[in-house]
Amino acid sequence: MSGGVSFGSGALVVVGLYLLSMIGIGWLGRRHRKDDSLSDFYLAGRAMGFGVLFLTLYATQYSGNTLFGYTGRSYHIGFAWTVSILFMFSIIVGYLLFAPRLVRVARSHAFITPGDYIQHRFTSRGLTLLATVLMIYALGNYTLAQLKAMGAAVEGITDGAVPSAYGIVALAIIMVIYETLGGMRSVAWTDVIQGVVLLVGFSILLFVIPGLGGGLGSVVEKLSKMEPKMSGVPSLETCNTWISYIFLLGCGAAIYPQAIQRLYAARSVPVLKRSLSVMAFMPLTTTFIALLCGVTGAVVLPGLEGVESDQVLARLCALVMSTSVLGYWLVVVVFAAALAALMSTADSALLSISSMFTRDIYQAHLRPQSSQAELTLVGKVVSWVVVVVLVAIAIVTDKTLVRLLELKFEVLIQIVPCFFLGLYWKRLSTAVVTTGMLVGLVVGLGFTLAGQTRVLGFHAGVVGLFANFGVCALGVWLRPVAEGGNR
Amino acid sequence: MVPPSHRSAQPSSDFEELPSEPRRHPIVWVVYAVLYALAIPWYWPDGYRGPLVLGLPTWVAVTAGSVVLLGIWTCFVIRRYWQDEFQDEVGP
Repeated sequence: MSGGVSFGSGALVVVGLYLLSMIGIGWLGRRHRKDDSLSDFYLAGRAMGFGVLFLTLYATQYSGNTLFGYTGRSYHIGFAWTVSILFMFSIIVGYLLFAPRLVRVARSHAFITPGDYIQHRFTSRGLTLLATVLMIYALGNYTLAQLKAMGAAVEGITDGAVPSAYGIVALAIIMVIYETLGGMRSVAWTDVIQGVVLLVGFSILLFVIPGLGGGLGSVVEKLSKMEPKMSGVPSLETCNTWISYIFLLGCGAAIYPQAIQRLYAARSVPVLKRSLSVMAFMPLTTTFIALLCGVTGAVVLPGLEGVESDQVLARLCALVMSTSVLGYWLVVVVFAAALAALMSTADSALLSISSMFTRDIYQAHLRPQSSQAELTLVGKVVSWVVVVVLVAIAIVTDKTLVRLLELKFEVLIQIVPCFFLGLYWKRLSTAVVTTGMLVGLVVGLGFTLAGQTRVLGFHAGVVGLFANFGVCALGVWLRPVAEGGNR
Repeated sequence: MVPPSHRSAQPSSDFEELPSEPRRHPIVWVVYAVLYALAIPWYWPDGYRGPLVLGLPTWVAVTAGSVVLLGIWTCFVIRRYWQDEFQDEVGP
């Protein structure tokens, strides 16, 4: 949250206590563990009720990028970023395409990771390993982005007194401590607090930020005079990009491993259905507010360029802080919400990486005879190792990350046919789905690394996914019906 | 030795239909298509803003309203079309 916000010692103590309370909740999660099994550690014993499941889905889905990245994006392109409400909603539609079947199969076979499903469905250790590596790679990049944002936030509120690197290390240590204490139970319980703080933070933003520009109507009128294109209807090519975003997030974010594991962790199907029903409305309380903050910033603080535009929310908060003591403390809550958004996403991704490594690589390929207690211990060690590696990368790489470290959806989305088609198309074979995945990767990464991130408005990863789906459809169509079934 | 859940199972039984799921009901996707078509602003003149509705440009208000309708429809779909025989509260 750098770029204008700096807190006094009182506020820093409050934020510090808030962070330390996360460790306390992590300890509580540990005390409530049932056994040392992977199921208990990574899925909280498959016993999540509605309140916890909904808030952990919410806090995990809405990351630091929603607060900083989306306000920065709408600061630049104005109301064309209304697409963010639509694509975040589309994640729920994505679930409807595969979750009912996946949840039933997962409950029948006690899956823990997405790799468990892929191995069960396609009975190919090679395919499972490939998909697992892709998911770990994508989640690693995702976590990395959150860590870097945490560093920037700490540097910002301490006015540079605490360098970004120290901020990253301190928050990462807090995160990995509570995560390894109680696994998913601790992460989900901290998500409850973080989800509530996030909701409160967004509510505050809705009520105070547009007011800086004289109210929403006034902001839009001013924006129309300053930059008519930012409040006008976007071009048809931009509408193509909207459709592409809907595919990218609707498919890609729905199969985030941490999201799939939350489907597994629901106490029952009705609990999951209730949670997803409420989640369908959450873009209106989150990304929509980020959009309004961004366009207000475009009116109140024009002229920010490049990295500075991602600091527009921090600068708007600085303006709020300067108005009154109430404004100051409201911004403290918003900052806590920012940390909540960052940490709740990063801890879930980290736990997911740990589970996939332990279950789908260590147990499947290195020590199949391991006991549950040994696997749980390995999972904890993996969490610490992954955090050390990611923190080191986050500290040594500058703001212009190499493109390879930014890739996530382009890679992750190629696993979609394994779920969306594999659960329903009996004749989708291992060879076909693997070929489709590789073709999708070559197309998506080929365009991206060649510098062409969009093709006719569509994201390179989505073009790759279309090719991937095409290969799967062709493979199934060419396979004689008499050979139906799985190899 | 391969761990239990990594051994081959009987995937064919996994393809057994649920009593009802959204994917099998065309009406679900027809309504989604209509609402998405309403939400994506392809049908407005390029650059049009229109009068403010609740402080928002007309087309943004229509898109936001469409997302509300999409949410309501999704709640209905989940309730009406996602039926699973595993409705019991299953613990660890």
